[in-house]
Amino acid sequence: MNISTDPWVWIASILSIAILSFLYKENPFFRAAEHIFLGVANGYLVTFYWHRILMPILFRPLFQQGDLLLIVPFIVGMLYLTRFIPRVSWLVRIPIAIYMGYWTGVLIPATIQAQIIKQVQGTILTAPNFQSWNAGTSGIAWSVIVFIGVLCTLSYFYFSREHKGVIGFTSRIGIVFVMIGFGAAFGYTVMARISLLIGKLQYLLGDWLGIIK
Amino acid sequence: MKIYERLNKIDRRIIYAILFVVVTLPLIFPSVLKVTPMTPVENLFTAVDKTTDDKALILDCSYAPQIKAEVEPMAIAVLRHAFKTRKKILVLSLYVEMIGLATRALNQVVEEFNSVAETYEDSIIYGRDYVFLGWQPPPIVPMLGMGESISNIYVVDYYGNQTDTLLMMQRIRNYNDISILVALSGSRIPISWVSYAQNRYGLQVGVGCTAVSGADFYPYYQTGQFTGLMVGMKGAAEYEELVEANHGVKGRRVASEAMLSLTYAHLIIMLFIVIGNIGFFLHRRKK
Repeated sequence: MNISTDPWVWIASILSIAILSFLYKENPFFRAAEHIFLGVANGYLVTFYWHRILMPILFRPLFQQGDLLLIVPFIVGMLYLTRFIPRVSWLVRIPIAIYMGYWTGVLIPATIQAQIIKQVQGTILTAPNFQSWNAGTSGIAWSVIVFIGVLCTLSYFYFSREHKGVIGFTSRIGIVFVMIGFGAAFGYTVMARISLLIGKLQYLLGDWLGIIK
Repeated sequence: MKIYERLNKIDRRIIYAILFVVVTLPLIFPSVLKVTPMTPVENLFTAVDKTTDDKALILDCSYAPQIKAEVEPMAIAVLRHAFKTRKKILVLSLYVEMIGLATRALNQVVEEFNSVAETYEDSIIYGRDYVFLGWQPPPIVPMLGMGESISNIYVVDYYGNQTDTLLMMQRIRNYNDISILVALSGSRIPISWVSYAQNRYGLQVGVGCTAVSGADFYPYYQTGQFTGLMVGMKGAAEYEELVEANHGVKGRRVASEAMLSLTYAHLIIMLFIVIGNIGFFLHRRKK
């Protein structure tokens, strides 16, 4: 056993235990650690954004180096603050409109290509898709399962007609696929949470208490 | 109280205590649990391995402290792989709060290699073997901009050096000189790399993600948009296994050490789920 002498390791460990104490019940140590975390995180972000974005990218070039073109984003950014002045608060719509317009233009084509067209292509029964499973001839079976699963799941979310007859049948199959998907997601979530617990215990037992090497 | 009522009313603190013991004991008394790498991890490993001398790989360390346990071992394993096989590597983070963790992983692995290096050639040298580009907001700027020129987007690196004066950067200009980008993240950042950098410039994207994201990301692997995929701590352990087995890289394997705890914790949770369901069905039958 080789307990750490680093005060920062002690602070991190004590705060970690304070947070974990919530598992027993709500207590003042947990609340104190929670408030410290919020304060430190906000302080860190504000300071970092000031020193790493506003100063080097905007204020220094604009006011010290005379890069006057930056006056435009400076004014547009400042318009966000007009929300605090009721008489001119409508001006906030300008930066919001610019932001929304920009992101709509950027996102729509990229999202359609990457998340719709490519994903639909991955569902179609073609030889390259069979091979993508790296499973030999059973790649065909996997592709067929994906094909059926996508169509049946889509039919489950088709609400314009009552789920009877063919749509009733396919939507019942669809819900099975949806449940399997939820099960996989839940299983992965359990794995993720346990991994985080292990990571924290590795820190407490290793870096702090020196029980594990 | 009947047995089924007890089963339905187990105090959650008892479950936590059992879980704590089950996770802790294998960490204190470790034993080896063989990890078998799966195809998505092998594909990522192979893609990194195939990086030729005239190209570099990019490691995007966009993971925050809350998911460090899952993703940091991936970063360390990929860095060990790259340095051992002398691949040129560019490291960056897309968000400011992740810079510290990227620096930590990078410094740790560089120190591991340099502590045993006997010559200058064996050493890992900044600017020759790797460059830490740091952070350039907002994320879409480097994603798209590096397709035209990396040095124009990251004019200075994290340490304040002019990027285009670094030796390695004389030959690495844009995505044409990048073999693969490995995105390590707990969010949808890897999909953004696909949406912007891959769609427009054809960049290969490999991914290391948290287990929570795994189910969302597999469709992108199946369509080939992700060249390879590491999911959660298990994915990291598989990559560690591949790096050690194929290149003999020795070093602490944090994810592999955790596999026994992870396995036992899963078994105990499965047991609790079964017990809970038995209690539920018995209770319903009695009603």
